[in-house]
Amino acid sequence: MISPVKIWRRQKVIKKLLGKTGKIISWTMIMVPSADFKENAPYPVILVEFSDSKRAFGQMVDYKKEDLQIGNKALCILRKVRKPTDDGVIAYGLKFRPLA
Amino acid sequence: MSTVAGYYTTQFGELWDKSLFDLVEEAMQGVIKNTKIKKESIDAIFFGNMLSGLLDNNLHASAKIAEILGVHVPVFRIESACASGGMAFHLANKYIESSSAKTVLVIGAEKMTDYSPEQTTKGLAAASSGEEQEVGLTFPGLYAMMAREYLTRFNYTEENLAYVSHKNHYHGSLNEKAHFKRKISVEQVLKSSYVADPLKVLDCAPISDGASAVLLTVDKKILKRNKHCKVLSSEAATDSISLKYRKSLDEIYSTKLAAQKAFQKAKIKPSDINVAELHDCFSIAELFAMEAIGFWKKGEAGKNIKELGTMFGSGGSLTVNTSGGLKAAGHPVGATGIKQIGEIYLQLTKQAKNRQVKAKYGLAQNVGGSGGTSVVTILSI
Repeated sequence: MISPVKIWRRQKVIKKLLGKTGKIISWTMIMVPSADFKENAPYPVILVEFSDSKRAFGQMVDYKKEDLQIGNKALCILRKVRKPTDDGVIAYGLKFRPLA
Repeated sequence: MSTVAGYYTTQFGELWDKSLFDLVEEAMQGVIKNTKIKKESIDAIFFGNMLSGLLDNNLHASAKIAEILGVHVPVFRIESACASGGMAFHLANKYIESSSAKTVLVIGAEKMTDYSPEQTTKGLAAASSGEEQEVGLTFPGLYAMMAREYLTRFNYTEENLAYVSHKNHYHGSLNEKAHFKRKISVEQVLKSSYVADPLKVLDCAPISDGASAVLLTVDKKILKRNKHCKVLSSEAATDSISLKYRKSLDEIYSTKLAAQKAFQKAKIKPSDINVAELHDCFSIAELFAMEAIGFWKKGEAGKNIKELGTMFGSGGSLTVNTSGGLKAAGHPVGATGIKQIGEIYLQLTKQAKNRQVKAKYGLAQNVGGSGGTSVVTILSI
């Protein structure tokens, strides 16, 4: 279950990654999502590795089909990641956009 | 050394007229009847289940099982995602080794079709990391990312994966308890729609209901009356829950570790195994398992599977997933690990009917999540 306090706690991690660029090391296109993401499908999810070898997952936005390739660069950005909770808190999190 | 002295499984499939505990009861009573034991000879019960707390708001299954069977012995519920059944067996085996218990009932069960596929998919995603859930990754999505790495690194295509489903559906057609009993061609797999690119519907195990139970015992009286096989080893290993912390994306390292321990304890080698039930939740996962256990070399599974040497009737020395695997027999998550051991029991005791292979040693590999948990069990006649 999602709660406002969990969303708030997560921000501490997310803010450290914003603006970083990394390389795509794998990706998929989710066609059959889970209940929380029913309205978003299909959507691509990428796994990115930064220069310090740390990794992060995120959905890719503003992409063309050819951007989804192992080795391509992507930039960490802040976007809404879920529908608002019943308490009205909007969950912001990491997404990526392609970097030419 | 403990032995498996009996097995019963319910039908696997969409069983809308049965609840989780209807299935549990059928499996428990089934194995008790098959082994002709009295319930008083059961010293403890181990129950593998993943989703009942999450989807059914249904915990404390131990007391429910005591109620159904009318017993007061210790009952343990084990949750290790899709390895819940295998882990229940692993712990039951350790319990017999380390206590005065002589006879233990091990059940695995899952009820998954009471809910929409999206709700069940969300429940299953609870076995992935918080970050993986936050970005909308599903289990097909995680295995798709692993598959992409493997296909890219070794220059394979989706066709190499499709042979796994083709083989396992043929086996499913020989198993009356399987969820799917129809054969499918490689072309049909390749033409099916994507669930998470590069994995398609026919690369994925279905969402199923079902329950399976085995009787584990060292009681000589029970052994005398029943066909049985020995448990040479049952070993477990773990890895990070998140795929991003793994050393490599194109292997299931926990299986490698569990298999090494299991072979060491059993004092045999992978080439001695004649029949194996491997955790093919997705087609790629059977290829990973073949390599991690040491049946095939790293990077060669994609090529080798196309020869179909592990298919029933091929005359090969190792037949894989005679039950139909998770792909065709179905994947009621908690039941799977027990059904795998049950299938090996049927093979080793020559009760596998139309899919019987000649076997002295058998192996079952059960995986939780994207490889965070593995249990490898080796059995022999």
